[in-house]
Amino acid sequence: MRKTAVVPILLLLAGCSSRGLTVTDVWGRPSPSAAPNAAFYLTIENNGGEDRLVSADSPACGTAELHEMYDKGDGVMGMRPVEGIEIPAGGSVTLGPGGLHVMCIGRLADFTPGDHVPLTLEFQDAGTIKVNATIRES
Amino acid sequence: MAPEGNGGNRDDLHRDAPLLRQVKRLVIIAGSILAAFVVLFVGLRLLRPYVFSGTVIQSPEPSFSFTLESMSGPVSLSDFGGKVVVLYFGYTFCPDVCPATLTDLARAMKLLGKKADDVQVIMVSVDPERDTADKLEEYVHAFDPDFIGLTGTPEQIAEVAARYGVYYAKHEGSDASGYLIDHTATVMVINEEGRLKLLESFGTTPEEMAADLAHLIN
Repeated sequence: MRKTAVVPILLLLAGCSSRGLTVTDVWGRPSPSAAPNAAFYLTIENNGGEDRLVSADSPACGTAELHEMYDKGDGVMGMRPVEGIEIPAGGSVTLGPGGLHVMCIGRLADFTPGDHVPLTLEFQDAGTIKVNATIRES
Repeated sequence: MAPEGNGGNRDDLHRDAPLLRQVKRLVIIAGSILAAFVVLFVGLRLLRPYVFSGTVIQSPEPSFSFTLESMSGPVSLSDFGGKVVVLYFGYTFCPDVCPATLTDLARAMKLLGKKADDVQVIMVSVDPERDTADKLEEYVHAFDPDFIGLTGTPEQIAEVAARYGVYYAKHEGSDASGYLIDHTATVMVINEEGRLKLLESFGTTPEEMAADLAHLIN
């Protein structure tokens, strides 16, 4: 009984990894049904050579794109799609509020706290990494 | 033998007494200095004015009083006279900055407890073409059922934004996202007298905003 409970917890803590890349802390906010879009955040740790996150996909989104926020000064913020996100060798990249995120365009399901939303990340070298985004407030 | 011994003790007492007095005196002096420092420190802390996390604005004129549309009809800024009004400009298609700010504001309201009754949070849409009053209300209520969402004609929104120094501009996103909007992400706080008092920049914590708001509530 105990063992069966510990194994999934360890897997959860370890995150999902492939070829030196480890993806952890994948989350998104609860989304009001009136909000057509949402964002996913995550951290990618790289113990291997340089790689690149090229795209993302989720069955819960019409389309998923990689986006970044930018600060235009005087408190003005904007957002734009990015072609890909560089993951430096031996480094880590965090997609977080006010910075980079996976934009979930045309959300197809309600995101309520505690939900786990499947998300597929496509890397140039490491290939596909499947993760689950936990829905929580922050 | 015995008297001698007594005499010896007496001599010891005579020798010790001034030393004991000196120690006592030193303890009293040190204690007084410490007490003075404590009084000074506490006094200075009490006298020191509250430092806002937000940028303080000294506006001689009352804030521009607008009337915009909510799901349940027109709403004017003047409807909230006597309350602190938190004004935020955003749009429901915004996936990152707007939900982050509204989540933080909802958390700040919770931290304020009963005092939150003296605060009204209003989100004005900078995307009147896509944000209908119904959608906007559903959107803001998901964060806090007391929040109000307001929209209007593009001309009305442009006027309100201009009067509050809010910038917004559409730009092309992708085919999937449709247009995106650059906009001022600053939260504005209007005090109970109806004057713009604080600007809270993006990233101010719920704790900092709650403390600022609590300080503005009389």
